[in-house]
Amino acid sequence: MDILAFLLHGFAIALEPQNLFLALIGCAVGTLIGALPGLGPVNGVALLIPLAFNFGLSPTAALILLVSVYYGTMYGGRISSIVLNIPGDEPAMMTTLDGYPMALKGRGGEALGLSAVASFVGATVATIGLTLFAPLLVGFAIRFGPAEYFALFMLAFATIGGVTSGSFTKSFIAAGLGLLLGTVGLDPATGVSRYTFGLYELYDGIDFIAALVGLFAISECLILLEDRRRETATNQELGSAIPGMKSARQCAPTIARGSLIGFVAGVLPGAGASLGSFLSYTLEKRWLGRKGDFGNGDPRGVAAPEAGNNAAAGGALIPMLSLGIPGSGTTAILLALLLSMNITPGPLLFEQQPDMVWGLVAALFIGNIMLLVLNVPLVGLFARVLRAPTWLLMPVVILVAFVGVYSLNNSAFDLYVMLAFGVLGYVLRKLDIPSVPVVLGLLLGGQMEFNLRRAMSISGGDWSILVSSGISIGIYAFAVALMAAGLLFAWWLKREEAGR
Amino acid sequence: MTAEASGAAPSTAALGDRIAGAVLAVLAVAAWWHAQTFVSGFRQPVGPDLFPRLVCVPLGVLALYLMCRPGLNQRWPRGVALLRQAGLLVVLGGYAGFLEPWGFLPATLVCSVLLIRLFDAAWRQALVSGLSLTVILYLLFEYALGIPLPAVPGLGV
Repeated sequence: MDILAFLLHGFAIALEPQNLFLALIGCAVGTLIGALPGLGPVNGVALLIPLAFNFGLSPTAALILLVSVYYGTMYGGRISSIVLNIPGDEPAMMTTLDGYPMALKGRGGEALGLSAVASFVGATVATIGLTLFAPLLVGFAIRFGPAEYFALFMLAFATIGGVTSGSFTKSFIAAGLGLLLGTVGLDPATGVSRYTFGLYELYDGIDFIAALVGLFAISECLILLEDRRRETATNQELGSAIPGMKSARQCAPTIARGSLIGFVAGVLPGAGASLGSFLSYTLEKRWLGRKGDFGNGDPRGVAAPEAGNNAAAGGALIPMLSLGIPGSGTTAILLALLLSMNITPGPLLFEQQPDMVWGLVAALFIGNIMLLVLNVPLVGLFARVLRAPTWLLMPVVILVAFVGVYSLNNSAFDLYVMLAFGVLGYVLRKLDIPSVPVVLGLLLGGQMEFNLRRAMSISGGDWSILVSSGISIGIYAFAVALMAAGLLFAWWLKREEAGR
Repeated sequence: MTAEASGAAPSTAALGDRIAGAVLAVLAVAAWWHAQTFVSGFRQPVGPDLFPRLVCVPLGVLALYLMCRPGLNQRWPRGVALLRQAGLLVVLGGYAGFLEPWGFLPATLVCSVLLIRLFDAAWRQALVSGLSLTVILYLLFEYALGIPLPAVPGLGV
């Protein structure tokens, strides 16, 4: 059992005091960020990237910190869903449907406890899946040449956003915009400057991190300025957060099903946690039929989406780590972190940096246990933080983003880049154009072009090399199939919403 | 799903999509045209201009499609909301510009007080919280994280 040996080695790394401490900090900060409405996983991780750089952490330690934050936000999102009826982040949206009614009935504590357990099971299932499947995928992908890689990037762009947003036109436009922005700077192969217009600050290309923080965190602030939400915290006592045996037994099969559905949704490119929780909730509702009381505070209506979104969050790490292709916004940001540290995820990562990969996987197992402990007995503490006023919270977020981005290169230019991307992100959101494909284009464009040019120099300029192997044809076919599935899903979603 | 998440109802008048489509189409054409200046000294099967041009084609075509067949948009802000957003950008742009010449402490103090005011707090709250926020951030970055910030120029700190 190779995997077991690697995993044990990983635990040795994850259990080093510094890494353990970072995982704990990450879990706590992540839960907090997830719980605060308006600060989702994407924003949280984007904000913390500059800080991770500033700590001078090794790539392994930085990744452990940020992935713990990522898992933590998935746990935290449910808290404000249940207590305030406001999803802490998008994947926690479905949890409001039964979580808030439970809180109104004075069963808020039970809902919080049960959803924490569901989150734990979902995330653990996904982490086990990551341990088992990522090496398989790596074994397959290790044979890829430049043409196959190019096909893989096409697959990523064909599918990302398409499944969830329902508008392929807008997702593709966003991807194209990102790819074009990704070409700004000196061409690495020839040194020719592209779209820099004489600004020497742009020679290295657009700084990923400044762009990401702008696209997500600054645009979120702009949205918040116009959208005054009235908070409706329940005055009900939360009650005990330790779920009773009866509801635990009732929810066990739900949690199992939700975890599996969420995991599959997470692994598929272009899906992610929101789809995971949505599918788990909807399918569970359908599965139970009249036996369930969904929408009126059925505990299973809390367990299903929480198992689903946590499982999807873990599943989304598989394509990111093993192929270098993120399946969601947050994993895209994790990819940005790695690229900024000059590490290219992909099959070679498992060979060249086994310490990092397996240390991370082990840290996820440990972090999960930490999160369960943080989220069951200490959940009241996090619920209290929700009362922090927006007027204080958002300026803190903005200033941390500013100082963090500034200190990366000590450059005020990066701050203007961040602001420009903030406005871009805001406009895109208003237009219902997803911003994740923009990020993906910006991040993957360089690699995509590199592989295209390498394939073309191998073939001497013959385009047919792109479709000359069975593997690349298979990847294109898979992309078409996923796009068709996305269209079908959009159609099903419309029907489902009409019938609601 | 995005529309539901942000809580705003999508409006059907998608003028924004048409404008965005037009802007992006122009951008794609301009980027395509500008790519002809990317000339490298040596011959390769694929030069530095090919990839940007390959991206411009679908971008331009889809942008034109969006212009003709717009989809749904979120509601655009008006009046006070728009003013406050402009205010945020002005404050932040000013902060980026003044951070180096003024130094971290004065620039951050002014910026944080104005930001807190923008988010609807009273002057007293804004002054007190802005001041403490500035000091905490300075201590955090300067000492806890060890990042040298341009504190106050001319004082040698």
